[in-house]
Amino acid sequence: MSTAEAPAPPAVAALRAVHITKRFGGLEALRDVSLDVPQHSIVSLIGPNGAGKTTLFNMLTGLYRPTEGNILLNDRDITHARPDEITGLGVARTFQNIRLFGAMTATENVMIGHHARMRAGLFGAILRTPRVRREERETLARARDLLAYVGLRESVFDRLASQLSYGDQRRVEIARALAAEPSVLLLDEPTAGMNPMESRALTEFMRKLRDELKLTILLIEHDMKVVMGVSERVTVLDYGEKIAEGEPAEVRTDPRVIEAYLGRQN
Amino acid sequence: MRTHPLVAIRHYAGRWGLIVALAALPVYYGIQDLVQGYQVYVAGHAVIHHDLTQLGYDVAQGLSNGAIWALIAIGYTLVYGIIELINFAHGDVFMIGSFTSVSLWGVFGLGLTTGTLGLTWGLLATLIITMIVTGSLNVLIERVAYRPLRNAPKLAALITAVGFSFILQNVGLLWRGGSPQSVPDLIHVQQTVFTIGGVPIQRGYILAFGVMIPLVFALGWFISRTRAGRAMRATAQDPEAARLMGINVNATISLTFLLGGMLAGAAGLVYALYETNIWYFQGFKAGLIAFTAAVMGGIGNVRGAVLGGLIIGVIQSLSDARLGPQWTEAVVFGYLIAIMILRPRGLLGEETREAG
Amino acid sequence: MSGWRARLRQWREAVEKRLPRRWSRALAVLLIAIGIVLPFLFPPSSGFMNATIIAITYAVMALGLNVVVGFAGLLDLGYVAFYALGAYTLGWLGSGFFFRLHIHVLVSPVVNSLQGVHLNFILILIAAATICAGAGALIGLPTLRLRGDYIAIVTLAFGEIIGVVAVNGQSVPVGGGMTLTAGNLGISAVDQPYFPGIGSFSLLNLRPWYWLILAILLFVLFVNIRLRDSRLGRAWIALREDEIAAVSMGIPLVKTKLLAYSIGAAFGGMAGAFFGSYYTVVNAAQFQFGFSIFILSMVIIGGLGSIWGAVVGGLALGYINNYLIPDVLNNLPSHFGLNFQLTQVEFGIFGFLLVIMMLLRPQGLIPERRRKLELTAQIAAEDAQLAEVPGTVAGPT
Repeated sequence: MSTAEAPAPPAVAALRAVHITKRFGGLEALRDVSLDVPQHSIVSLIGPNGAGKTTLFNMLTGLYRPTEGNILLNDRDITHARPDEITGLGVARTFQNIRLFGAMTATENVMIGHHARMRAGLFGAILRTPRVRREERETLARARDLLAYVGLRESVFDRLASQLSYGDQRRVEIARALAAEPSVLLLDEPTAGMNPMESRALTEFMRKLRDELKLTILLIEHDMKVVMGVSERVTVLDYGEKIAEGEPAEVRTDPRVIEAYLGRQN
Repeated sequence: MRTHPLVAIRHYAGRWGLIVALAALPVYYGIQDLVQGYQVYVAGHAVIHHDLTQLGYDVAQGLSNGAIWALIAIGYTLVYGIIELINFAHGDVFMIGSFTSVSLWGVFGLGLTTGTLGLTWGLLATLIITMIVTGSLNVLIERVAYRPLRNAPKLAALITAVGFSFILQNVGLLWRGGSPQSVPDLIHVQQTVFTIGGVPIQRGYILAFGVMIPLVFALGWFISRTRAGRAMRATAQDPEAARLMGINVNATISLTFLLGGMLAGAAGLVYALYETNIWYFQGFKAGLIAFTAAVMGGIGNVRGAVLGGLIIGVIQSLSDARLGPQWTEAVVFGYLIAIMILRPRGLLGEETREAG
Repeated sequence: MSGWRARLRQWREAVEKRLPRRWSRALAVLLIAIGIVLPFLFPPSSGFMNATIIAITYAVMALGLNVVVGFAGLLDLGYVAFYALGAYTLGWLGSGFFFRLHIHVLVSPVVNSLQGVHLNFILILIAAATICAGAGALIGLPTLRLRGDYIAIVTLAFGEIIGVVAVNGQSVPVGGGMTLTAGNLGISAVDQPYFPGIGSFSLLNLRPWYWLILAILLFVLFVNIRLRDSRLGRAWIALREDEIAAVSMGIPLVKTKLLAYSIGAAFGGMAGAFFGSYYTVVNAAQFQFGFSIFILSMVIIGGLGSIWGAVVGGLALGYINNYLIPDVLNNLPSHFGLNFQLTQVEFGIFGFLLVIMMLLRPQGLIPERRRKLELTAQIAAEDAQLAEVPGTVAGPT
């Protein structure tokens, strides 16, 4: 069991990582990390660079398999599920280094996000039955709605993703994740490269997502203002281990956390 | 332990599966020879032998063929290790090496009647000149075709490589025609020099190893002991870091192509002496075999290329002798596919970056 | 970008923007009409018609490979395998090769009495497509977790293996004294297409052949366009651009990639079956690695990922290879006092073309639609920049 015991999570955990250990050959990236993300909450995962946060994300979304441990989504074991299956079950994510599809427009990127919720297959594509055509229309409309929802200007909806500004690209990535109609949203450093005003807007936006769309949000963040401002719970990783967990105020004053960050600055 | 059983199976099946697959042919035919026996014609009538001499002969043959493939495979593996490109034209550089060698024999007047001393000096000169020619050719190809595309998607460079392969093949075609051409058996390759355990060791074997071993050692020494060699290793590991360290990456890459090309040229000369036969299409065939060898040994790894070359040579030889040469290509490629399925990184290679 | 080139592009984009959907539809109809009428401009067995038929068949293959390499980004260097399988499907199901069997479905009265398996050509097309779709999936299976270069090698290896099996199949018995293939001698006396009411095709009149392959081309084009603008098409492009992001967005890797291989293979198989009948023999020597590169060149020179690019590439290389070089320009070198014919340096010319294209215009003759959008956006960005400079024409910002 981890050394930093958090108070029992109040609500049903939407996403749980249970005693996750990950080894890459000789390197141990994560050791015995457990994490609960309660329904409809916003939880932040913080820690110095290299602590293993993105590795944990990658396991939550199925890109890596844990060497030991389990991952549960709404009490369903998804440890060995494929990434596309996990997305289909309602987990969507954004990436630390934005990974949009450069050869597609913003709209098309978001439409891709909806892939798991669409049904048109090979023959549907070729025959273009009325149902398929309606599905395409609806997906297109929904994509445009989502782009507007995240605050993208309509004039760039049909711009190639590689031509968008950095801030716009971040917005499109979030819209694309939302298109998967997730119940859990994983955001990997969503405010990277943003100025304080933009960060604040994003913080508001995350609350909006939790309240309006009933999402559960887990985010990796470095910006402490965002973390403190929006999280209900914070988990701290350092060198692959969980060193603290709890409410933002507690964690912020935890001596181990301070040491982990300050120590790193030397 | 929560490792998924399928993952564990795949991990172990990979390495051992490959070793089993590789050992399958020699073991099977060895057992067959011992149990069923094989026919040998002695003084006109058939005699059944129950020993491993025939197998030994096949293996010896295969190893020396393999030495030639090893020399070519090293070129592939060096280039891939440093710029992650399959130099499709490499096999055809080997072919040009063969053609150049044979032409040089004409220039030096080497023939079946040339004395040993003249032959030795002549072949040595041929070797050196051929190596210079093919090395330069390889460098030229890099300069013209690959360097401009260094930042382009890999597909573009691959296509260019194929294009150059075709150009070189056409050059060969125009040079010596479309049919295989017989060349004088200058050193009487098939002559048995001595036997080991009943297995005849032919001159050709000594030639192949006699050229390969010194060259491989020289290359190994160069890569580990000289500054340029260290630069090659550094660039192969991390080109950006190498550049930041002050290494001239362009020159290092050119050097890699030079060395690979030189070895291909040496292989070309050995091939001409060994097979007594050259053909414009030999490069394509040899290239695929040598590339399979490089992949089997672990792409980017010189020792792996040598090991792979020898192994492929044996597989080829066994297939030729036991299944029939018409199936050999399919067998070799079957092994290539098996490697890709069981252990893409090859026998001695490091973990490849698999998709996802 | 130099001023006049930018202006030329702007003009072209503006014109295209003004062309409403109706007009491009009308253009398509016009082209099809021309295509249908074309044979009447030439004698029934002209060399040009022969070259055109072959060129169109190449275009079908290029469209098939374009699905694999262009849409899905899977570097397939063994496409010749599907040409072979398609042709052999014709050899097996449309000739007297399996002489012990006696199966006839909707064939001409003459053929009805022959031994062997004789199916109607349309059935053979369907069979070829199906067999190749299966083979495509099988060949694709080992490549799923491999990197780009390795996919190239594995597919190449498969292509070579098929070639070896084709040559040696004459010693592979399949029962009753019949063998798998006829090796280098080839399965000859294959059926020509027969349609009740139209009769049997013959090589004396190329027009029906032309219309048949044109119909096949239009069908394949139709399927391609539908696929490109569909959920599956987007999934392919997503996988091509960024596999990790694509699977994270819910795109099933295995199924989507295998579908690309299968569909691409199916088209190749149909074209292969057509060639088998048109060339009147199915011969192992037809299936060499060089052919895979040939088709790949068409896709690349035309424009990787672009449907029209594949068509143009196929037609262009088809004409160059089967008409321009052998018939029109073959004696060109002798005009310069050189001692060879152009056909002898075909290989080298292709190699040269490939190198030049990659160095000068890697996006191909007709870049993929999305790349064109890139250029449009670039112009829009330049417009915006211009608008900010005082004294120039005021822009939308």
